[in-house]
Amino acid sequence: MGIKFTILAILFVSSNIDARPISYSGGSTLMMFSDSMKDSVYYHYSPTYKYSVGIEQVKNNYFKDSSSYLRLTYLANRKNTQNSQRNLYFQSGLSTNGVDDYFYGIHGDWETRRWFVGFGLKEVKKEKVGFSQQHLQFGVAPYLGEYGDLHTWLMVKTKKNSLNNDWSTYPVLKFFKGNSLIEFGYNNKTEWDAHYMYRF
Amino acid sequence: MKLIGTFLFLFSSWAIASDHSHDHMDHSDMMHHSHEGHLHEKLVDGEKLIVNPEKFDKFISGLTNAQVAVVSVKGMVCDFCARGIEKTFQKDKRVKKIDVDLGQGKVLVAFDKGIDINFEDIKKKILANGQNATGMQIVSI
Repeated sequence: MGIKFTILAILFVSSNIDARPISYSGGSTLMMFSDSMKDSVYYHYSPTYKYSVGIEQVKNNYFKDSSSYLRLTYLANRKNTQNSQRNLYFQSGLSTNGVDDYFYGIHGDWETRRWFVGFGLKEVKKEKVGFSQQHLQFGVAPYLGEYGDLHTWLMVKTKKNSLNNDWSTYPVLKFFKGNSLIEFGYNNKTEWDAHYMYRF
Repeated sequence: MKLIGTFLFLFSSWAIASDHSHDHMDHSDMMHHSHEGHLHEKLVDGEKLIVNPEKFDKFISGLTNAQVAVVSVKGMVCDFCARGIEKTFQKDKRVKKIDVDLGQGKVLVAFDKGIDINFEDIKKKILANGQNATGMQIVSI
């Protein structure tokens, strides 16, 4: 139960740092995540807007260990219209602990200034345990801010993984202003978590 | 899994069916004008300049002997996503000032008068942020 709970927690928090996986050409992004189970710092650099490479340092508070992931994210498809943008990404990560510790998957989103819909599929291999994760996310902006204003998103995320085969649904609040973005999520299994992102 | 699989299938089909690559520009509404003495409430070569008047007036306040490129951009749906556009243009030393009008999907870029504003260069800068510039009007201040 404990290990399963921990794995669920890891999967839960890992999914949150998939947002904004690629920056502008030559841009960098720093992401930090923290909760009772894990502290994570993820830095990525985008040579072009098509892909990013990065490294994620993870401190696992439950297992009392640390690991690093080399990560690659590729923008497979993007459609820009006057009022919307749609994206499809491929993501992968390989741990420095060895070839048996990695993940890969896809995620996509469609958003306007008012609405957001996103999904993700991820396969994770950690030591000798393999599992999959999937999620759907919906969001609405309660107001439309101008450039430079504080922007707010009210979101709902629902996810499932192959370990317990149950859907878990929880609210997410997202705020961003300027180069900073902060996101809070609450899940009755993992309690509060926070995600901060800064784009250089 | 079925729900996600169905969603993924629909999403992928939508992506594949869409034959408009983001790398391809829509030139249908591209304009390149250079006339002096026009502000936001006036026409630029007979075409209405669609910008947020308050934002535009604020942008040009303090500008003299300048020209403003009003660039139409597709895919600029969020503030955080548009930050890269500002950063990219700020690296160009010819740029005096830049702002983004999210509501109208415009990027305002001020240059000194006399500088040749190249739309292809503008398009490259916008594309470096993953969005598409589809048109440009130039207003002299």
